[in-house]
Amino acid sequence: MKRSSFLRVWTCLAAGLAVGVAIAATAPAANAADPGITDTEIKIGLFGPLSGPLVGYGLDPLNASKMMYEEVNKAGGINGRKIKLVIEDDKCTPNDLVAVVKKLVTVDNVFALHGGSCTAAVAAAQDYVNREKVPYLMLNAAGDNAVFPPTKYVFGSFHGTQRVYGGALANFAVDALKAKKAAIIVHDDDYGNANLKTTKAILESKGVQVVAVERIPPNINDLTAPMLRIRAANPDVILSGAYPAPTVLIAQKYGEYGMTKIPLLIATQGIPSPPAFAKNVGDNNALVNVYHTWSFTDIANEDVHKKYFSLYKSYFPDRTPTPFMVSGLPSALTMIQALKDAGRNLTRESLVAALEKINLKTDIMAGPLAFGPDRRDALRSVFVLKFDGKTEKVMPGTFSWDGKTGL
Amino acid sequence: MLFLLPQAIASGIVTGCVYALIALAIVIVFKSTDVVNFAGGELVMIGAYIGLLCIVYFGARYDVMVVVVLAAMILIGCLFQRITLEKITGRRFSASVDLVPLVVATIGFSYMLKGIVRIFPYTEEVRRLPPLVSGAPIFIGPVILQWQDVAILVATMLVMGLLTYFFQFSESGKALRATSQNPRAAALSGIPVARMRMLAWALASAISGLAGILLAPKLLMTPDMGGVVMLAFAAAIVGGFTSLPGAVVGGIVIGIVQNVIGVLMTPQAISVTPFFIIMVVLVLRPQGLFGDIIALKKV
Repeated sequence: MKRSSFLRVWTCLAAGLAVGVAIAATAPAANAADPGITDTEIKIGLFGPLSGPLVGYGLDPLNASKMMYEEVNKAGGINGRKIKLVIEDDKCTPNDLVAVVKKLVTVDNVFALHGGSCTAAVAAAQDYVNREKVPYLMLNAAGDNAVFPPTKYVFGSFHGTQRVYGGALANFAVDALKAKKAAIIVHDDDYGNANLKTTKAILESKGVQVVAVERIPPNINDLTAPMLRIRAANPDVILSGAYPAPTVLIAQKYGEYGMTKIPLLIATQGIPSPPAFAKNVGDNNALVNVYHTWSFTDIANEDVHKKYFSLYKSYFPDRTPTPFMVSGLPSALTMIQALKDAGRNLTRESLVAALEKINLKTDIMAGPLAFGPDRRDALRSVFVLKFDGKTEKVMPGTFSWDGKTGL
Repeated sequence: MLFLLPQAIASGIVTGCVYALIALAIVIVFKSTDVVNFAGGELVMIGAYIGLLCIVYFGARYDVMVVVVLAAMILIGCLFQRITLEKITGRRFSASVDLVPLVVATIGFSYMLKGIVRIFPYTEEVRRLPPLVSGAPIFIGPVILQWQDVAILVATMLVMGLLTYFFQFSESGKALRATSQNPRAAALSGIPVARMRMLAWALASAISGLAGILLAPKLLMTPDMGGVVMLAFAAAIVGGFTSLPGAVVGGIVIGIVQNVIGVLMTPQAISVTPFFIIMVVLVLRPQGLFGDIIALKKV
């Protein structure tokens, strides 16, 4: 080798080494310079439907999350940093939510994202969030499509997925009601199919015969046909994974057709406000044998209810919250705990690592909120309550989905 | 599953009557003004919410609520014709008025009504109006009916009868038909065409309001409940779009076939059934079951 070539090789190697050392030396600084974080502040993008037809799913839950962050700030912040919120309206539509997420990441330079009340909208942002490597916690979307299969930066389902509600009701039907024949009624969409798949798999794995499966269009006006078919199948139990309005119509027909000897089990999304549900059904005789899943302890614990609803009133005195308000609490509590766990040397990656290790027990949730390396759905245990139109009676224990059956 | 058919047919007739009421309102406007009213569903929704407001907020009695709803709907219909449609057409009564801006105006009207109703806090949750009449269910053999179902049947037949009388025998009804057939000739013979059109909108809005009151206890209330108008359009098309009895028969046919298909095949087919019926009717009888044979009617 010529001397000049030898020198050139060594010069290149030395330069490469120097660049490598420089990169390695500046690596912590680069992490520390993640957007949206300073020595005194963590900027979080908070969003939900604040207008449009689905505002009911988002307004109070978003306010609840905001309230919890304010409480943290009042107590001095997290590891010396205060939370600063940038609030946006996603209208619960995929287009609007993706636009909001992009704006929060590129214009507002937030550190992490926290929002979304509708599964389809949340799922639409999944690719972008993972590409940009921004930790994202859903506000209160059930989020089946966004957490199965799990992706690194998207965490959610804080009050349970459809699989959890379906799984809990199926287990309750078999273990508590000793059902042998079951009928299932769900919406004919992704949401309903996720519920159906798990419910059916669990029932069949426990030897229950599924005698009727009715998939109804989401805009159905008349439940006569599916309810007649269910009545003709003569099940021991009916499991419903329908939305709120059709669930009321199901309960009405269930009462009208004299089916009240068969227990009617309703997944959480069909009965977001039990008092409003009873009022809409209009006949408490139709509710003598009705059960529903519920993810929150406040429904049967007056102290917990008072704690959060009084706090809400102190922050938003002009607004009377719906019972669904509490669905904005678990995601905020999880974000706060993960930020604490990640420590003072906070980066987006350390937040993700902290989230993956979290196993948070709260006074408001039926079960622990936990993630893992391959798990992005937080809650897998819920209560089952018997609701007669006036009072709620919590059935003993919690009912869970194992994370595998019917996935 | 055949033993389920009597109940499916009975419930289908009741649901079909609700479609028929909305279809009647659409047909009246179309017959009188040639405008396809895309705000028909939202007028139903507004009627239901005005009723809810009367009962929940003002604690009104049901009969008072019905009167208030009908009066408010008449006012809304008249104002829309006077402020919007008449501004678009001007005072031209020729048959060659461009209908596209008028149809677009009804679409805009539908969005406006939906936007306005969402201002009120009652619209955040699913709501239900108490039924017009209630009591123990009626058993007719294997068929179970609620008193509200009977009220819907009676109201639909009553409205259709009154409208038939109005259009066939009353001076105003005949004037309205004349306005529809040839507005210029009607104007030349002294018929106040603008007022007649306002009357058509008032009638249609009042019927929509009534449909809202009857529908809300059965279908539940959300700002999007006006989506039921698609089934009313289907009913009107099946019936012939210009025929009042046709609208009623079309509505009932759709209600029954939806339920029969739902029972015998699968409930998944319920939402596509009306459009399948439309296709069949348009192929076999393009003018609809009761419509006039398509021909140039204006010069």
